[in-house]
Amino acid sequence: MVVNVKKLVKRYDDLIALDHLSFSVKEGEVFGLLGPNGSGKTTAINCILSLLKYDKGEIEIFNKPMSPTAYDIKRDIGIVMQNVAVYEELTVYENIDYFCGLYINDKILRKDYVEDAIKFVGLEDYKKFTPKKLSGGLLRRLNIACGIAHKPKLIILDEPTVAVDPQSRNKILEGIEEMNRQGATVIYTSHYMEEVEQICSRILIIDKGKAVATGTKEELKEMITLGEKITIEAYGVPEKSINSLRDLPNISSVEYKESILKIKALKGKNNLESVLEFIKNENIQFANIYSELPTLNDVFLEITGKELRD
Amino acid sequence: MPVYKLCIKIFKKNISTLLIYFFIFLLFSAIMATSASNTQKELEDFSYIKTDIAFINEEESVLVEGLKAELSKVANFIELPDETEALQDALFFGRVKYILRVPEGFTGSFMDRQNVNLEKTIVPASASSAYIDLLVNKYLNTAKIYVQNMEGISQGELVRYLERDLSEEGHVDILAGPENSASSYSSIYFNYMVYPLLSILIYGMSALLISFNNTDIKKRVNCSPLSNTAINIQFSLANLTYAFVVWGLMVAFCLLVDSNNINSSTFYYVLNSFIFTICGTGLAFLIGSLAKGTQAVTALTNVVVLGSCFISGVFVPTELLGSVTLRIGSFTPSYWYVNANNQIARLTQFNFDTLKPVFSDMAVVMLFAAAFFSLAMVIRKERRYS
Repeated sequence: MVVNVKKLVKRYDDLIALDHLSFSVKEGEVFGLLGPNGSGKTTAINCILSLLKYDKGEIEIFNKPMSPTAYDIKRDIGIVMQNVAVYEELTVYENIDYFCGLYINDKILRKDYVEDAIKFVGLEDYKKFTPKKLSGGLLRRLNIACGIAHKPKLIILDEPTVAVDPQSRNKILEGIEEMNRQGATVIYTSHYMEEVEQICSRILIIDKGKAVATGTKEELKEMITLGEKITIEAYGVPEKSINSLRDLPNISSVEYKESILKIKALKGKNNLESVLEFIKNENIQFANIYSELPTLNDVFLEITGKELRD
Repeated sequence: MPVYKLCIKIFKKNISTLLIYFFIFLLFSAIMATSASNTQKELEDFSYIKTDIAFINEEESVLVEGLKAELSKVANFIELPDETEALQDALFFGRVKYILRVPEGFTGSFMDRQNVNLEKTIVPASASSAYIDLLVNKYLNTAKIYVQNMEGISQGELVRYLERDLSEEGHVDILAGPENSASSYSSIYFNYMVYPLLSILIYGMSALLISFNNTDIKKRVNCSPLSNTAINIQFSLANLTYAFVVWGLMVAFCLLVDSNNINSSTFYYVLNSFIFTICGTGLAFLIGSLAKGTQAVTALTNVVVLGSCFISGVFVPTELLGSVTLRIGSFTPSYWYVNANNQIARLTQFNFDTLKPVFSDMAVVMLFAAAFFSLAMVIRKERRYS
């Protein structure tokens, strides 16, 4: 195991930020920590990195207990925090060189590493720029380069795409996948389920400091009863037809509002087909129709009773 | 030493602001240097000047001629008509500073040991007329001693004796004298140094502390394999390097400009400024720990540095400050630093007894330094745990 967290408890007076949180991260994984704002993701990361004292629990990294003085463990960890942490006075190159220098003493090797990091995040044209002259997206890329320049075995990224434009966001996500392909184990925290779904091989859903569910995205989706969401743009659907629709096999809920018919179906075969047949038999006029598989938001909604972005 | 190198790099990045302070101070000190050297030159160029006097002699005698010859060493005789109005005009318009009249029968009465007086008209409160008075009195009092003790002495003999006696000059050896004065360049320079030294230290170190206090950067550094001790040592070393480079440059400039007047005092000025630099480093550390942005640093620096300079005798000599102001000023380290400087300036001998008050002032400055460092540590610790 690269990271092993056992029954972690962190309290802030009466508030329990982490409530017996346990999880483990295997080598080569992109492990996603998904949860709404305030769910305890950053607190968990801070505890893992020994930046925060915790009340109970055990944390092991690379099979060794983690502590503030575990410098041999820290040497192999790269950290990209939620907020950009760079020196305003230094240029892009100097910033990366400094943070890389905290890990790598060899000047020649460090120079290569810094150049690699700059290339990796696509900041070749901005080497001599100070952070003030960079856009939000470029700043985030610099933030990432500072965290990964020393080529760590474990990379922890705490919501690195907050307030980032789509172009930079894609670049960042592609970068994380590339780092993983190169052998790094990644822990990625986010409240954006699409990102987690896109890049994470295993996901832990966390809410109020508790682990709600864990597994691959497919496994998580298997945990819930929702099988399919069917949305139909339909006109003048009578109440009687809506009630009849609810009585169809596998249909769990039907909502009709402003000419949009939203149908949730349980796991099963031919759900869309039976709905379409029903609409045809009832002579309901419709324009668009589409079907979606459940998302992580649906998983979260079914388990906790609230949306991820609440 | 990545942290040390980073600190030096950040100092270098802020060098333009710091250089502005430095050069303004150098310009200011150059003006002070010119002013101080002019005063010194005036003192070195001292020469006797003769006072213009009118000597109206109503009788001819050897004694009076002797007096006139003696006076001629310090006075120019201006010929004036013996008329009241002309004499008064000459005094009023400054043609003469002193009018001495020898009345008829003066010599006879003097030689007969009678009490006689010369008549004088002078410009009131004139230093030169007081000096002429002294000479006339010295001549006649010496003559009186001879007349009273050598019966039947002739005027010729008397004048010869007087010439011989009055030509004697006392020789003075100054065994201990002030090597410099409170108005010397070094003394003024080291007092004024408080302002730029503190400003440059605070601006430079605060910029660094603000960057280092950034929570996110701190987190990132704390995640690295560099120990806290190593970080703190490198950080402190960089700050000390900066402080002593600034101090060294300022002292070197003074020694360069005032190289002709380097003496024992200079050593103590340098020592005093070194101790003050340690205290200034503590103050900068405290302000850097308190302030959360560069604007706050500017505000705090203006209040703390400018304020203390005004009330502690840096900008205005302590002699001109009121007792209440000085009492308030004594709560600032610059007051004790300036006090020590002023005492060094007044010293003529340098031994433990004479230097005791200077060392006491230096000790007070060190106490301030300890207080500043301790307070900064407490604040930093509080912030770390909060």
